[in-house]
Amino acid sequence: MPTSARRQGRAGDEAAIARLLAGYHPPAGTSDELYDHEGAIRPVWREFIGHLAGLPPDDVTRRFARGDQYLRDAGVFYRQYDAKGANERDWPLSHVPVLIEEAEAESLSRGLIQRANLLEMVLADLYGENRLVANGHLPAGLIAANREWLRPLVGVRPRGGHFLHLVAFEIGRGPDGNWWVLGDRTQAPSGAGFALENRVATARVFSDFAAEIHVHRLAGFFRAFRGALQRLSPDPASRIAILTPGPLNDTYYEHAYIARYLGFMLLEGEDLAVEGGKVMVRTVDGLRPISVLWRRLDAAFADPLELDDTSRLGTPGLVGALREGSVTLVNALGSGVLESRALLAFLPRIAEELLGEPLLLPNIATWWCGQPTERAHVRANLDRLMIGSALSTRLPFEPDDATLLGRQLREGAPGEPADGAQGAFDDWIETNGASLVGQEAVVLSTTPAWVDGALVPRPMSLRVFLARTATGWEVMPGGFARIGNSLDPKAIAMQRGGSAADVWVVSPEPVDHVSLLEPRPGGFARTAPGVLPARAADNLFWLGRYVERAEGIMRMARAYHVRLAETADPEAPLTAHLAAYLERAGVELDRPIPHALTDVLVSAIISAGNVRDRFSIDGWMALNDLLKTANQLAGRVTEGDDAARALGVLLRKITGFSGLVHENMYRFTGWRFLSVGRSLERAITMAGALSAFADPGAPDGALDLAVEIGDSVMTHRQRYAVTTSRETVVDLLALDALNPRSVLYQLSEIRDHVAFLPDAEVNGQMSPLARRVLQLHTALAVETPGTVDPGALCDLVNDIGGLSTLLSDTYLR
Amino acid sequence: MLYDIGMTIAYDYDHPANAGRHILRLMPADLPGLQRRITGALTITPEPAEQRALTDFFGNPGVEVVFREAHDEILFRLTSRVERLPQPRGFDISPPLSRLSTEIAEHRSLDASAPHHFLTASPRVALSPEITAWARAQVSPAMTVAAAVEAVGLAIHRDFDFDPDATTVDTPPAEAFARRRGVCQDFAHVMIAGLRGIGVPAGYVSGFLRTFPPPGQPRLEGADAMHAWVRTWCGWEAGWTEYDPTNAIAAGTDHIVVARGRDYGDVAPVKGVLRIAGEQSTEQAVDVVPVE
Repeated sequence: MPTSARRQGRAGDEAAIARLLAGYHPPAGTSDELYDHEGAIRPVWREFIGHLAGLPPDDVTRRFARGDQYLRDAGVFYRQYDAKGANERDWPLSHVPVLIEEAEAESLSRGLIQRANLLEMVLADLYGENRLVANGHLPAGLIAANREWLRPLVGVRPRGGHFLHLVAFEIGRGPDGNWWVLGDRTQAPSGAGFALENRVATARVFSDFAAEIHVHRLAGFFRAFRGALQRLSPDPASRIAILTPGPLNDTYYEHAYIARYLGFMLLEGEDLAVEGGKVMVRTVDGLRPISVLWRRLDAAFADPLELDDTSRLGTPGLVGALREGSVTLVNALGSGVLESRALLAFLPRIAEELLGEPLLLPNIATWWCGQPTERAHVRANLDRLMIGSALSTRLPFEPDDATLLGRQLREGAPGEPADGAQGAFDDWIETNGASLVGQEAVVLSTTPAWVDGALVPRPMSLRVFLARTATGWEVMPGGFARIGNSLDPKAIAMQRGGSAADVWVVSPEPVDHVSLLEPRPGGFARTAPGVLPARAADNLFWLGRYVERAEGIMRMARAYHVRLAETADPEAPLTAHLAAYLERAGVELDRPIPHALTDVLVSAIISAGNVRDRFSIDGWMALNDLLKTANQLAGRVTEGDDAARALGVLLRKITGFSGLVHENMYRFTGWRFLSVGRSLERAITMAGALSAFADPGAPDGALDLAVEIGDSVMTHRQRYAVTTSRETVVDLLALDALNPRSVLYQLSEIRDHVAFLPDAEVNGQMSPLARRVLQLHTALAVETPGTVDPGALCDLVNDIGGLSTLLSDTYLR
Repeated sequence: MLYDIGMTIAYDYDHPANAGRHILRLMPADLPGLQRRITGALTITPEPAEQRALTDFFGNPGVEVVFREAHDEILFRLTSRVERLPQPRGFDISPPLSRLSTEIAEHRSLDASAPHHFLTASPRVALSPEITAWARAQVSPAMTVAAAVEAVGLAIHRDFDFDPDATTVDTPPAEAFARRRGVCQDFAHVMIAGLRGIGVPAGYVSGFLRTFPPPGQPRLEGADAMHAWVRTWCGWEAGWTEYDPTNAIAAGTDHIVVARGRDYGDVAPVKGVLRIAGEQSTEQAVDVVPVE
């Protein structure tokens, strides 16, 4: 393939394009995004296809790899569920974006804005006067049976008057070339953050080209939405936060990403408390007011007192606070009622009723089988309809075993209509009509995807986002495209191997450069540091402890394997003494890389995973890499020298991680909790090791071992110019104020950090924690090596451990 | 009938609870034409940090209380005087079972008394094919709704044993049904599941029973603690009626209503969220004495 294809002029371009599209044959009976109905390339795609055709194949591969690398480095993943449970998978980016002409996007926007306004009116009615039910436009039974119609919220008018602030619509292009709405996402739509990541990755792939063809940027949409959320808060001192179900949710990555991107706190239900009808966040500095919650948690889980009482993710009293009008939820609790499939059957008529005009953008044709006429229609057209649960919120192409083509149903698929008998099926649909809908089977348009070095057509649907701003709904100029991995429209769901693509809205004119940051003429102002939720502080504190504990285990296990390599005798007195000490500390030497080590690394990752919005991506990757390496090594190293070297590798990696964190983390309160955790653990490890190895009864070589565990071999040689003695070792590792491995040094670190924590000193009075730290520090500082005996060291371990409890009681509740 | 009602509910925790938030539905209801609350007082120990009256979707009054100090026991004490007005037992004006679904569909409302809330599964009453089949076997399409309700209620009384040890407050109706044992809550839930399964709107009532029967009548089961029974919608004209499957009788002047909902979860006397470690235990004592 000539590398100069781009310069070969028009004839060369045409030849290259023809080669690129040689295998691109959209199936009959569908629309295609690239080709119009005459089979000509749509104008919006021409430049892009010309550019792609001009790239040599190895360049294409390199570019796609660049996009994938970005996603891996950014830590973008999604969670896949299979028989074995949940796995984190690489983000499946389809590198070829979906291109849409600006004029077409604008006409779509008009239809979607109309729909968003309509949904707002329907929701206000369902939680207010219920005129749609009274006038027969919605069946009462359908609403009453919907679990997302939340009775405790009936009659509760949201503060500010609006129920919906961020909505998403899943749309697809039908065989006739027109767009259809496939489903409404009104509860807590996901994907806006992923759309942004798809954009960043795709821009890396086509870095030199994207700017040339006037692609609308996404940042303006996010800036508008952030501004809108800020305006929802009447009091600038109270805060905006994202409410997440937590790290086990399949889109938690996105919650953390959006929180970082927009600068909002990421909170879980237990971070919140309701007091006096107001929602507060528990911080290390006490309760602080929250004014706006962007909810990524399904409504039923939000308040175990008034909603689902089995929920462990919620905040008791939240519904009460909404009744008081002290907080805005985005979107309002109960807005999920609009997502059920059956509603699509009624919206066209409701639009005429409430807006006095038809839907500009139709939704997929739907018949609710709870009405005799509609039921008859479904029965008559069974072969081309999908039959499924009326109240399901799944999109037509999402995996759902209970939704089947009518034909399959009649053949007896769900068990109920037995024997394939039409009569039995009729009975079934008569009896269960109220819980069923028939929907037109979806035929999606196809769009180019790069598979095995060639462009092929794949089915596609788009998710488009709308945010309510002061001036009305703002539509994201782009979106989240799902691309199928085969021509079967059901293969579009990511859980079934589908992938995601960026959406380019292409303008004929140059587009504005917008970034998230407001331009601020006349300099800048620093914003006040945010508050630190107690749960985040707790996780950072324990992260500090776990990482330091892991390092301690590495050092001791390495020392053990070095001794083993030297003597080849696990029963040698010093080796056995060390093994016994490790065992008392819960570290079994059953394998060269102890289980205790990988366990504590897992704990560290769980803690870090709970605060991903506050944690650098590099740090997160380094920590995961550490565990991965430890697991790999555990599977293959042997005792003695091999293990000692492997543990050395891990030690270098973990100090790399610590450096990354401590060099780069801003000195907010969160960093102090992390540092206190580290110092506390290090002090405990050192005092414990000294009690065992600086014991007069310990075997020969124990003192050198203590110095080695304390990573102070060189220092000892320089400071004392003698061989190790009990006095020199205790002096260096317990009492030396300048040795960063000594107990005293760590206590002074703790003392310094604690002085910066909230309420460490009130009117000249020290907090109980600050006082206790100072007591321990002072008591140790005045000791001499002679008085620090094993008993005193054991007491020290307990006393320092007591600081952990005191810290938790003070700040982490 | 005039009654003096006294009840205490005590919670005991192994480890002190740091905080708690509860909704209490303990106070006898004021129901025009049916029941009149003359006095009512609720005392709570320890003193809650916050206390707020509320009315829920189904019109039940409740109190939300918040505890913020560590506590290892809570005591709720209710005293109330209630007048229960006798209802004339008229003719059965309910439609045949086969016509009920049409009457329901004509009911274009979602207010608290609409039948639609009581027709499908609710959080604590899943519909079960076994219970539905059993309920269907007790009725025929030509029966009136009221007759069908009574038939299902009688069948529960006939087929089930009263056994406080067989179930707990969280036992799902299908499990109680499989064992054919339980207490008033289980019987009410099974009856509700069965009636909904055959298309009859059915809800849950919590309340009190008079402790000692009038002379010459047997003592009713379920008078030692709060009691539960069932209400059903029997068509436009007959409206809502109440039936006590535990005692196989229509609820009458011996029954004092506290709260109504779809199932126990809507009317639990003490609903709440505690941050506790360890176990808790509960004791309940009820006294319902007619005022002579």
